[in-house]
Amino acid sequence: MTTTRLKLNLGPQHPSTHGVLRLLLELEGEKILSCEPDIGYLHRGMEKMAEKLSYIQYLPLVDRIDYLAGFFYSELLCRIVESACGIEIPDKVKVIRVLMLELNRIASHLLWVGAFLMDLGATSPYFYVFREREMILRYFEKITGQRMMYNYFIFGGVRKDIEFLEDVEEIISVLPSKIDDYEKIITDNPIFIRRTENKGILSPDTAVNFAITGVNLRASGVDYDCRHTDELYRGFDFKSIILDGKDAWSRYKARILEMRESINIIKQALDYLKKSNPLEQRLIPPINLKLPEGDYYAEIEAPRGLASCYVRSDGEDKPYRLKWRTGSYYSVNLLRRILKGEYLNDAIAIAGSLDIILPEVDK
Amino acid sequence: MCIKVFNSVKALWEGMWTVFKHLFKRAVTLEYPEKRRKLNDAFRGKPLVEGCIGCGICKRVCPAGAIEYEKNEDGKVVFYKFDLKKCIFCGNCAFYCPKGAIKMTDEYELAVQDKDGLNLVYKGGAEND
Ligand code: SF4
Ligand code: SF4
Repeated sequence: MTTTRLKLNLGPQHPSTHGVLRLLLELEGEKILSCEPDIGYLHRGMEKMAEKLSYIQYLPLVDRIDYLAGFFYSELLCRIVESACGIEIPDKVKVIRVLMLELNRIASHLLWVGAFLMDLGATSPYFYVFREREMILRYFEKITGQRMMYNYFIFGGVRKDIEFLEDVEEIISVLPSKIDDYEKIITDNPIFIRRTENKGILSPDTAVNFAITGVNLRASGVDYDCRHTDELYRGFDFKSIILDGKDAWSRYKARILEMRESINIIKQALDYLKKSNPLEQRLIPPINLKLPEGDYYAEIEAPRGLASCYVRSDGEDKPYRLKWRTGSYYSVNLLRRILKGEYLNDAIAIAGSLDIILPEVDK
Repeated sequence: MCIKVFNSVKALWEGMWTVFKHLFKRAVTLEYPEKRRKLNDAFRGKPLVEGCIGCGICKRVCPAGAIEYEKNEDGKVVFYKFDLKKCIFCGNCAFYCPKGAIKMTDEYELAVQDKDGLNLVYKGGAEND
């Protein structure tokens, strides 16, 4: 029997590419011979825009780089400006930021669990995770004013003092049992296991060579979590989740465990905030804010891997050049390697397991 | 083999049961637009200006260039406009206004038939036109 080679476009509008990603697959039967990701459908010129706007004008826009985890990117820009101005933010601000970042991480992972299961054809968990994510987003709305585009961190601090801590308490008391529920539905489900176990094997070497970071890397057994060296997280007691399954199932499990770990961090932050005094902070005046000439760099562990920002300033009130590094960009590139030799019906499951989010890729 | 089958059936049953239990829970969604949820004070919706002195800070922090205003010879603000087509509801203007003249209201259903309706003009920076 002869088979012909077939070129297949997966996307850009496909229900299970989160955003618009086009994969050009070369198939022999159902086997994938090569995969060529085509990106750029969601390009908004985030880096070029920075060159035209002052720092304070640019700050609300960075939430939109990754709309599921906006806090991480505002944190990066704030860090750069703060370090350039030589300002040390007070401890309370640090803890507030950690609280928001970790809640945001949970919200992002929750959505991933739902979307991944949806890719595999299970619809119920999708609604359950949205229900829990909604609690977190409602809380964000109470504090920041909006559900996804927060614009809450600001150069030198946060926009206003933290309130409604009882809501956070409720979230962290409800969440563990809900995560147990997901695990009951998903983790041991034989169909789920058949579709994810030993699929999309990502060896530690490949992961490192392709600059994969974050959960995807840790689920391949490499211990790299830059929260441990992060100044912001100093004083928090947590461990990173290292699994060595290397497959899609491990990546799922790692995210579930990471949510539980984040709840741990939030508990510690809450304990601190409940005892703390009202917020005192020194904001950096935004009008005529000029960064001294030089290069600035900041990095943080975002839900989808290491995120970093690089700014070159020539002493003006706008950056000369600004560059973002986002985790998903590298995961998309990895698809070239990881999909090779797999079957078409696994392609979506494998791509989904990497937690690719397209606005972050295209910027 | 037998154990594997047993475990699989058990896992499936547990999952099904968890899903089944949800049938008896209260719905968490609202039938919009008949029912709406209550918004909180911090919500950033349509901006509103009142008591502007024309210092120009809001214009300089606005990322979208959505703000325009005019002063007369006496330095009084006679015209103030938000262009909602451009506004991204970031709240920068409200946060930095030294007079606290800008409020972000909780109005969010801003669709109009005529796009001029998206220019919010305030005469004298005070009353809504
Ligand atoms: S909310 Fe933001 S975009 Fe809208 S007018 Fe104010 S500063 Fe400009
Ligand atoms: S609204 Fe406020 S910031 Fe804007 S010009 Fe008037 S007083 Fe200044």
